[in-house]
Amino acid sequence: MNEALTLQYVKTTAELLMLPLEEAQAARVAVYLQRTAAMVSLLDSAGLSAHDELAEIYCPAPFPAGDPAGPSV
Amino acid sequence: MSAALNQHGDAAQMAAAIRQGEVSARELLTTSLARIEATDARINAFTSQTQERAFAEADAVDARRSALLKKGESLDALGALAGVPYAVKNLYDIVGEVTLAGSVINRSHPSAEADAFLVKQMKAAGAVLVGALNMDEYAYGFTTENTHYGPCHNPHDLARISGGSSGGSGAAVAAGQVPLSLGSDTNGSIRVPASLCGVWGLKPTFGRLSRRGTYPFVHSIDHLGPMASSVTGLALAYDALQAPDAHDPGCHALRVQPVAASLQPSSTGLRIGVLNGYFDDHASAAAREVVALAARTMGTTASVHWPDAGLARAAAFIITASEGGSLHLDDLRTQLASFEPLSVDRFIAGALQPADWYLRAQRFRRIYRDRINALFADWDVLITAATPVSAPLIGTEWLDINGTQQPCRAAMGLLTQPVSFAGCPVVTAPMWPTSTHGMPLGVQIIAAPWREDLAFAVARQLSDAGVAQVKPAVF
Repeated sequence: MNEALTLQYVKTTAELLMLPLEEAQAARVAVYLQRTAAMVSLLDSAGLSAHDELAEIYCPAPFPAGDPAGPSV
Repeated sequence: MSAALNQHGDAAQMAAAIRQGEVSARELLTTSLARIEATDARINAFTSQTQERAFAEADAVDARRSALLKKGESLDALGALAGVPYAVKNLYDIVGEVTLAGSVINRSHPSAEADAFLVKQMKAAGAVLVGALNMDEYAYGFTTENTHYGPCHNPHDLARISGGSSGGSGAAVAAGQVPLSLGSDTNGSIRVPASLCGVWGLKPTFGRLSRRGTYPFVHSIDHLGPMASSVTGLALAYDALQAPDAHDPGCHALRVQPVAASLQPSSTGLRIGVLNGYFDDHASAAAREVVALAARTMGTTASVHWPDAGLARAAAFIITASEGGSLHLDDLRTQLASFEPLSVDRFIAGALQPADWYLRAQRFRRIYRDRINALFADWDVLITAATPVSAPLIGTEWLDINGTQQPCRAAMGLLTQPVSFAGCPVVTAPMWPTSTHGMPLGVQIIAAPWREDLAFAVARQLSDAGVAQVKPAVF
C-alpha cells in the first residue's frame, strides 16, 4: 500500500467510524498505518495454516498441578 | 536511627524493623512523605498523594502490633509488609479517587468505589499506600513524557527519561521515596522503567495476578506487577499480591505459589542461556556489557536462539494498536483534542486497522506460544538486556542502535515485547554498565510460564554477588 492509497484508506475508514480527522492528522495517522502494514508483512512468513486458530483468552501454559518450587498455600 | 529509616532502605528491612519495635509505621510513613516532599518537584513521580489514608493505615498497623503484643500473640498476623510505604501507577483504582490512567479525559469519571484487587492484597499484607504515580497516557508509551502532567524525570539524571509507561513507579523507588511500587506491563512497561531507573521489577506470568480494578490498555497482553529497591522486597510484594481471582477472565492462577520464604541464590543445576540473534542485534555495547557480566556471574557461556522474536514484536504491535484504538474509539470521536499528542495518532491508526491484521497476529500468537514453551524444555532461565540503551534525554526522537536509526519511543520496547507476548515471567535486575556515565541498564531474567521461582533464584544470585543492585540517586 503506497502513501496515497494509505491516506485514502485512513480518510475513508475514519469517516466510516465517524472519526473526524483534519488533513494533517490523517497524514500522520497514515504514516503509522504504513509502519504497521510493514509489520503485518513480516507475519506473512509465519506460515499459518487454515487450522491455526486464534489464541483464546491467552494462557501461556496450563497452571501446574504440582508445585515444583515448594508448598502451595 | 534505625536503618529502616534510611531513604534507600528496603521493604524487608522496614517490615522487620516494625515487628521488632525499632521504628513505628507512623515514623516510616513520615520519613517517606518527607522524602516525597523534598524531591518530587524535581522527579514528578507522583500525581496525587493519599496522606489521610496512609496515616490511618500506618496507625492501624501500630495499634495492631500493640494489641498482639499485649495478648502475647504472634506478630505474623501483622502481615509481611506491615507498615511498608508504597505507591501505585495511577491506573490502579484507589477508593474515593479518580483513576486517571495518565489522561485528562478520565478526570470526569466518577471516583473509584473500591480499591483494585492488588491494592486490597497489599492492604491485607499491611502495606501503607501513599499515593498514585505518573505514567504515559493510557499506558501507550515507553517514556512517561506525559504532556498533561509533565515528564517523569530519571532520579539518576534529571534531564533523562524514567522510562514507561510505569515511569512514576520506577522513579519513585529509584529516588528513595518508597521502597515498593506497583506498575503494569503490556509490552515492557515495568521492565523498561526498571531498567532505566535502576530498580528491581517483576513482570509475572500472564494470568498470574488479577488485573481487576485497573484501567485496561490491551486485554490480551496486560500484566500487573511490583517494582522494588531489593530482590527480597520484590519477592515479598509478589507473594502478597498473589491470589486466584475468578472474576478476572485473564487470571489463570488457581492458587498461590510463594517465593520469598524459599528465596535462595542458586544457579546450581540450572540451565541458563544468553539470548543471541535479534536480542544481540538490538543491544548497544552497554547492554551487551551487562548481559555478559550477568552470564559470567551465573557461570554460563551458552548462546540461545529465541524463535520468531521479530515476528512476535510485530504481532504485539498490531494487537496493541488494535485493542487500544478500539478501547478508546468513543473518546477519539468526541474528545480528540484532549488526548496525549504523543500517542493519539497511534491510537487512531490502531482503530483503523483491518480485522485481518489483528486476527493474523492472534493466530500467530498461538503457534508462537508452542515454540517458546518448547524452548524451555531445554533451558530453565534465559538472559537478555531489558532495554537497548540506558535512559535517553527527555525529548529524544531518534536513537542510533548499532548503526540503525530507530524511533526512540518505540525502540525502548524492542527487547521486552517478544517476551511479554509469550507471557513468560521476567525479573528485571538493575545493573550498571561502565560506559553510561552512571546510568543503569537492566537485565531481563526470563523463565518458563509459572516458574517465577527460577527467575528469582537467579536474581538473588546476581544480587548477592553485588553485580545487580539499586544505587542511591544523588540529585
